[in-house]
Amino acid sequence: MRKFKETGVVENVKIARDIYRLKIKIPDIVNSVEPGQFLNIYFQDSPKIFPRPFSIAGVDDNNILIIYKVVGSQTEKMSYWQKGFKIKVLAPLGNSFELDSENNVSYVLIAGGVGVAPLMFFRDRLFLMGITPYFFIGAKNRNELPIAEDTKSKLYLSTDDRSLGFAGNVVEHFKSMLGSIPKPVSVYACGPNQMNKAMAKLGIEQEMKLQVSLERVMACGLGICQGCTVKIKSATSDCHYSLVCKDGPVFKGEEIILTADER
Amino acid sequence: MIDLNTKLGNRLSLSNPILTASGTFGYGDEISDIVDVELYGGIVTKSLTLKPREGNPPPRIVETPSGMINSIGLANIGVDLFLEEKADFLKIYRGKVIINIAGRTDFEYCEILKLLTEENWIDGFEINVSCPNVSEGGIEFGTDPKILSNLTRKLRDLTDKFLMIKLSPNVTDIRIPAETTQKCGADAVSMINTVYGSAIDINTKKPLINSVIGGLSGPAIKPIAIANIIKAYQVIDIPIIGIGGISRGEDVIEFMLAGASAVQLGTVHFYNPLAINEILQFLEEYCSQNNILSIGDIIGKAEV
Repeated sequence: MRKFKETGVVENVKIARDIYRLKIKIPDIVNSVEPGQFLNIYFQDSPKIFPRPFSIAGVDDNNILIIYKVVGSQTEKMSYWQKGFKIKVLAPLGNSFELDSENNVSYVLIAGGVGVAPLMFFRDRLFLMGITPYFFIGAKNRNELPIAEDTKSKLYLSTDDRSLGFAGNVVEHFKSMLGSIPKPVSVYACGPNQMNKAMAKLGIEQEMKLQVSLERVMACGLGICQGCTVKIKSATSDCHYSLVCKDGPVFKGEEIILTADER
Repeated sequence: MIDLNTKLGNRLSLSNPILTASGTFGYGDEISDIVDVELYGGIVTKSLTLKPREGNPPPRIVETPSGMINSIGLANIGVDLFLEEKADFLKIYRGKVIINIAGRTDFEYCEILKLLTEENWIDGFEINVSCPNVSEGGIEFGTDPKILSNLTRKLRDLTDKFLMIKLSPNVTDIRIPAETTQKCGADAVSMINTVYGSAIDINTKKPLINSVIGGLSGPAIKPIAIANIIKAYQVIDIPIIGIGGISRGEDVIEFMLAGASAVQLGTVHFYNPLAINEILQFLEEYCSQNNILSIGDIIGKAEV
């Protein structure tokens, strides 16, 4: 059950260029958190009023981990937070990744940049079940790759600038490897809108089972402001909107309609 | 112990002067696991329309300095589904239940009111005549005195329950719609709804909100709300319910000094869902420190 907590920063470390891992102490929530869910962080006395939503990247003892990239003034503030800094959080929020109903599938995780966060948590969960997933991670360049090695997955790295791993984007990388991954595959993706869009298209073309975790600007994260819509294919009406915070953030690839100008 | 009881005319009394603002608290049940809904004097629901509405295409919200612009477009489940799914929660709710109604025509407003006024668990209505985000209806009802008086009279004839009109600040002089609603039999006015606002992405040159112009809310509009309440308080006798960027207990006192008998918490629910706890505690402290026995004693006491 989601809870509003005043808590403290346990650790805040830089793991790549502009990318940080924040560990927050939330003991009574840790056991109920599922991969794919997110949390809200609240900021006090700022001209920017919205809380910021972050996918949960893992749990450890009494702590929840998130991975964030400095993209604006709020995340810049976060990058200065030190151990013991008091913050207000609401967690856990949203739905979660669903395990495939079949036993012998190949689990494939596709991450673009900090989109790696919810998939790392899902990887942990799979690993505990004795499953080693394929994990494709792409970034602009080697300095922005959130992880470089992994013992819990078969890791495939790519960079747009060819500085490390496969030269090109993560979707192209996955496509090039698709033939060598045992079928059937069950794919889980999280990344920038363009990547999610490309994955949704690929999922339909290849008739793959695909779950995508989406990101949106949110005012509340609770389903009340109705601001964070995604267009959903519907048999009954031309246009149906779901809320990323409440109905998502995880959606089936075939049900979402992503447009170019989503933020 | 401070007396927070608040009487809004002859038809509605609240256990305290804090209500929720429409569209920022759903229908009460959505965040009742986080917020203690019983702490409010009452709930004002998300706007209901006769038929369900999908709402506007994205982007619907954008964060702006000390506020946000929204263009949700009255996305809601419609009155039938509301009665089916939300009534059970609101029936056992101990505070007052005020239903916010929006329509495209007089007929739609009247139909919804007729459907709901028979329900004994509903304590009153707030009429949204000031939504800036729908192409038909909405704000034009609130900005044209003739249309506003026709609608208010028709609704007054249909219900003996508390009837409150939510006014728009997007007018030259708020005193005109305020006087109009009083004359036509409304029990109260709530003000202000959102202020016209827009924002543009300097890289893409595109508006940051689908409808180009949306409704600005949050602390940014608080001074506008205070100014409008001061003006309206000078010309009407019916209670004013203050809305506009209230975040803290200090804000509630300021609104009441300006002339509000009660207030609504809105956008604050997004950035501080537990604001109600802090606000009630502050009201107690403020009143005891200033020897105020009843919170109602401060209404309109600003030396303006």
